[in-house]
Amino acid sequence: MSEVSLERVTKRFDSTVAVNDVSIDIDDGEVMGIVGPSGCGKTTALRLVAGFETPTDGTIRYDGDDVTHVPPENRNVGLVFQSYALFNNMSVLKNVTFGPKMHGVGKEERRERAHELLELLDIEELADRNPKTLSGGQQQRVGLARALAIEPHILLLDEPMTGLDAKLKQTLRQELGQLLDDLGVTTLYVTHDQEQAMSMCDRIAVMNEGHLEQIGTPAEIYEEPANEFVAGFIGTANLLDGTVRDGTLSLGFEDVDTPEAVASNGAVTVLVRPDDIPVGSGPIDVEVTNLFYQGEHIQATGELPDGRELTLRLDRSETAVGIGDTISIDFDPESLHIIESTR
Amino acid sequence: MSGRFREGSLSARFGRQFVTLVLALTLFFLAVPVVMTFVSSFASDWFGVFPTGFVTLGNWEDVIVGTGVGADVSVGSSLAYSTGLALGGVVINLIVGVPIAYAVARYEFWGRDWVNVFAILPLAPGIILGVAFLRTYPDLSTSGIALIIGYSLLKAPYMVMAVQSSFQSMDLQQIEESARSLGASWPRTFLTVIVPNARTGIIAGSIISWTLAAAEFNFSYIVYSRGTPPLAIFLFNNITNASFLNAAAAVSVFFLLIALVTIALQIIGNRGAVRRI
Repeated sequence: MSEVSLERVTKRFDSTVAVNDVSIDIDDGEVMGIVGPSGCGKTTALRLVAGFETPTDGTIRYDGDDVTHVPPENRNVGLVFQSYALFNNMSVLKNVTFGPKMHGVGKEERRERAHELLELLDIEELADRNPKTLSGGQQQRVGLARALAIEPHILLLDEPMTGLDAKLKQTLRQELGQLLDDLGVTTLYVTHDQEQAMSMCDRIAVMNEGHLEQIGTPAEIYEEPANEFVAGFIGTANLLDGTVRDGTLSLGFEDVDTPEAVASNGAVTVLVRPDDIPVGSGPIDVEVTNLFYQGEHIQATGELPDGRELTLRLDRSETAVGIGDTISIDFDPESLHIIESTR
Repeated sequence: MSGRFREGSLSARFGRQFVTLVLALTLFFLAVPVVMTFVSSFASDWFGVFPTGFVTLGNWEDVIVGTGVGADVSVGSSLAYSTGLALGGVVINLIVGVPIAYAVARYEFWGRDWVNVFAILPLAPGIILGVAFLRTYPDLSTSGIALIIGYSLLKAPYMVMAVQSSFQSMDLQQIEESARSLGASWPRTFLTVIVPNARTGIIAGSIISWTLAAAEFNFSYIVYSRGTPPLAIFLFNNITNASFLNAAAAVSVFFLLIALVTIALQIIGNRGAVRRI
């Protein structure tokens, strides 16, 4: 296992800049997530690390060694794709021993290694099966075993759970998280699913239109997003325009003390998460315009006195609230996060 | 409330039966000559509506032993010669056609659509290709090489199409990249992962292009000059020189060959289907 870093990496395809001056350092044994919407450059970033693309500018290092121009077969990376891409002309066992065989590991040793991994992933009984006959969850485990069998410098996971149903996804997420923790494998996990990234990764890099918007722990990204994009992409966000003047934040309908140090007076964007807005009592009246029952809670859309919309989270027990009702809310200055200058 | 749920129109009620009937009649119409030819190859006379004088193996003896009634040689030597020539064509198609099918299915490159069109459209008819060959390489016509090259060119589309459909059913890029990330070089990935995964298409393409090459008449007729005749020329000699019943036995050899190939393709298809379950 090792440290992997992207240093000011740019990748252009003709006139399109897929990855724009991105730097990410992945520590030894760390699970790093890259999240972002479709086309943000996250898969290109993964392909650059794997060696399937060569950066237009910048350097990629494994343990400090420059591997920018090293072909993929010499990089020793474990790769798990969304489609798993298992070799259907081989049994599960042969799929898992393929990598060690290519690395010149002896027959006995590679079989031993494969059986150990299959056992670890709880699929030993599938060793002689053809991958085609396996379920999506089983195929994913085989893909993982195959990638781990080469004892990779880094494990690259490209949307490995996208094709699975919600329940299985949840189970596998826990298992995979645990496994990566136990093995201490340096991992790059690319997904558009921010919930998965939040629960599985030590740190997350948020990308948009080729740029790295923010990098940090899941809590940092959620609580202190660097800009409006990150705030909107990670979790549900209410972004309100406000003005700061001499330590007071004016939201138009309500003035509060500025929650944190603000460099200068002027226009700001304020983030407040729905679950940080106390509902039931408070000085601000909101008219409920929509309700979405979501099982564990009710998500409501409300209209502020000045006409702006706000997303709220109601307790499941508050079924008496209906569309058109007025409810009272409050803003806790502590839970407001000011995003100073917007790009 | 009568009329609320109306019975279907005439076409909805009987359309399926009608199509089935038309299909059955067409198949019957097409199959009768084949069956009649095969059956008559065991008859000694055919003057009326149906052949008579069953069962004789004389017609088959002329063809198999090569008594010189239809052609100068036995069907065995002619079939063996064509088998070899067609196999040569298949080998060329495997070496050239499989990589072309892979390139077209896997990569985006300049001129890709044109390569695809030329590879899968049987553009030049056998007769024109034959004339062109004779003009360009007059010395080649005495050897089998011209026939081998011509067969491979004429039948390449069947190989490329069969293999391409196999490639298109896989996620080629991800399979290739998985193998390479596991340490396999590109040639090794192609030979140990990509080609075996397309095995069904490769076998089917080989069988189809071999069969069609073994029976190719136009090109063979133009290019062939002397020596053992290819199967198509052998059949033609039988049809033109011998009695119909004798020719029927010769043509039946080809029918049997087609039947064997069809069965082989069915078995391959079923294996593919079983694997997919």
